[in-house]
Amino acid sequence: MAGASLLLAWRELKKWVGRRGVFISSLVTPLLWIALFGKSFNLQALFTPPQGAQLPPGMVEAFRRAIEERIVSLFGTTDYFTFVSTGMLVVFAVFQGMFAGVSVIFDKRLGYLERLMASPVPRSSIYLSKVIATVARVTILDAILLGVALAMGLKISGAGPIDFLVAWVYVVLLAAALAAGYATMSFYAEHQEAVFAASNLINLPLMFSSSALFPVKQMPHWLQVVAKWNPVTHAANLVRHHLIGAPVSDYWLSVAYLATVTAVLLGAGLYLSVRWMENR
Amino acid sequence: MECAVEARGLVKVYPGGVRAVDGVSFCIRPGEIYSLLGPNGAGKTTTVKMLATLLKPTEGDAFILGRSVVRERYEVRRLIGVTPQDLTSDDEMTGWENVYIQARLYGYPAGEARERARWALEYMGLLDVAHRKVSTYSGGMRRRLEIAMSIVHKPKVLFLDEPTLGLDVQSRRHLWDLIRRLRGEGVTILLTTHYMEEAEELSDRVAIIDHGRIIAEGAPGELIAKLGGERIHILMPGPSEAEKLAGELASSGWSARAHGSEVVVTVANAAEALAELAPHLRGAREVRIARPNLEEVFLELTGRRLREEEESFDAFRYRVMTRRLRR
Repeated sequence: MAGASLLLAWRELKKWVGRRGVFISSLVTPLLWIALFGKSFNLQALFTPPQGAQLPPGMVEAFRRAIEERIVSLFGTTDYFTFVSTGMLVVFAVFQGMFAGVSVIFDKRLGYLERLMASPVPRSSIYLSKVIATVARVTILDAILLGVALAMGLKISGAGPIDFLVAWVYVVLLAAALAAGYATMSFYAEHQEAVFAASNLINLPLMFSSSALFPVKQMPHWLQVVAKWNPVTHAANLVRHHLIGAPVSDYWLSVAYLATVTAVLLGAGLYLSVRWMENR
Repeated sequence: MECAVEARGLVKVYPGGVRAVDGVSFCIRPGEIYSLLGPNGAGKTTTVKMLATLLKPTEGDAFILGRSVVRERYEVRRLIGVTPQDLTSDDEMTGWENVYIQARLYGYPAGEARERARWALEYMGLLDVAHRKVSTYSGGMRRRLEIAMSIVHKPKVLFLDEPTLGLDVQSRRHLWDLIRRLRGEGVTILLTTHYMEEAEELSDRVAIIDHGRIIAEGAPGELIAKLGGERIHILMPGPSEAEKLAGELASSGWSARAHGSEVVVTVANAAEALAELAPHLRGAREVRIARPNLEEVFLELTGRRLREEEESFDAFRYRVMTRRLRR
């Protein structure tokens, strides 16, 4: 089963890399995001006294320190670029999940899925290959994103190789959860539009109601409640914790929650996808 | 073993109540080319999909070399090769990659898979283009690649669903030769087609299928012989004129039937009969003598032509087009 899953995932990656345009644009898009989104908003500039302002020097310093403290308590860092580029590592997992579904739809429509289903390949491998391919794509994109972010001034404070590895695991968990959801949905969906519509409906709220782009603590109460249940928040918090040392309120609770969401989606997806394939 | 493929009362009712296959039974002997011939929508593809374990029969069962397609699905999948109607190869990959992946999916380790892929591509005459991207292939090459992908694991039974759909005459003849060669190696082949010539040319036996039921079965020659005599087709300006002529001929002792604007007269010897028919042919647009063939058999049985409901545009080209759009 593992062999067939990996083989089919390899097929997808090969096609992904082979489509130069798609591959390059999926690399450039993230970089534009962090460059524009991350760099266009300079947190500290907001609190720098305007030029020519007549303020006693001691007061400026005290004010700056108070503000910085507040920023750090919200963002875990004083640099918004650092905050958002680590969040973006997680956002990618969300957005790539959709492509697991798109790939199922195309295999269905072009008859490749039928060819697979007429072969002795385990049905579970067909499903898992979509998840594995997505995880691999996210890994590649995130590695590049991280490299560029570091070059552009991402401040990782004392993160060692283990931290990167553990952070990667959390990204993988989130990517797998979303890929599982989208792949399963796509087995049952009749048209690719349904998957695109669903992803429009799901991805943006998932991203904005999480700590990926903005800190949860400054959100209105109701949104904080949503964010607390949003697995993206937990993944983002955990990744930030490892990469930039931002505090997490309850580390193991976050880990357990994220892992549970992934396990449930993967498991339910496996059951439903195989059921779709075998009961037509 | 008597049957390589045996269908027993297969029924498929799709959700929504469409009865696509309505009690189909047949027995394909080992090493035989057996064709399901019928118009689009007759239930051919649905039947093949049930045999290939892609669809569950609503009723009935079928056996591939004795293995049930309902209860022993994985065993069946190991025995069969399936060439779907669609072009399923990845056109952004090479022919080689497509076939090689297929070999690996059937569990061959890398080295053996390379040998198998090489064999299949060579067999289908694609070895010299194996390392070109499939998007550069011609229609015939793509169809041959589909079959190469389906025989890479040396299946005992091969399902070919409309294998020459949309091909020109030359590519079609080439493919027919290859299909015959496969039979020569002992592969049992089930072919679906709505091309009468294809069924006649290739098959040892044919089942004519319409509205989900088999309405005639036998060797093409047998079915045609049963029809008896020759056919004269007289095209009239319209259905009412055809009706009128058919009535006129019938009343003077001819065996004549109207099908739309056409009158079909069954005679023992068409050349002789024409002279006698001549006085009745005033106003006819076209007169044609038909060699008895499967098309005539189908017309006789159903009152319709095989390709009456042919799509207005070429389904094959459409598929190629949608694939291009995707890239």
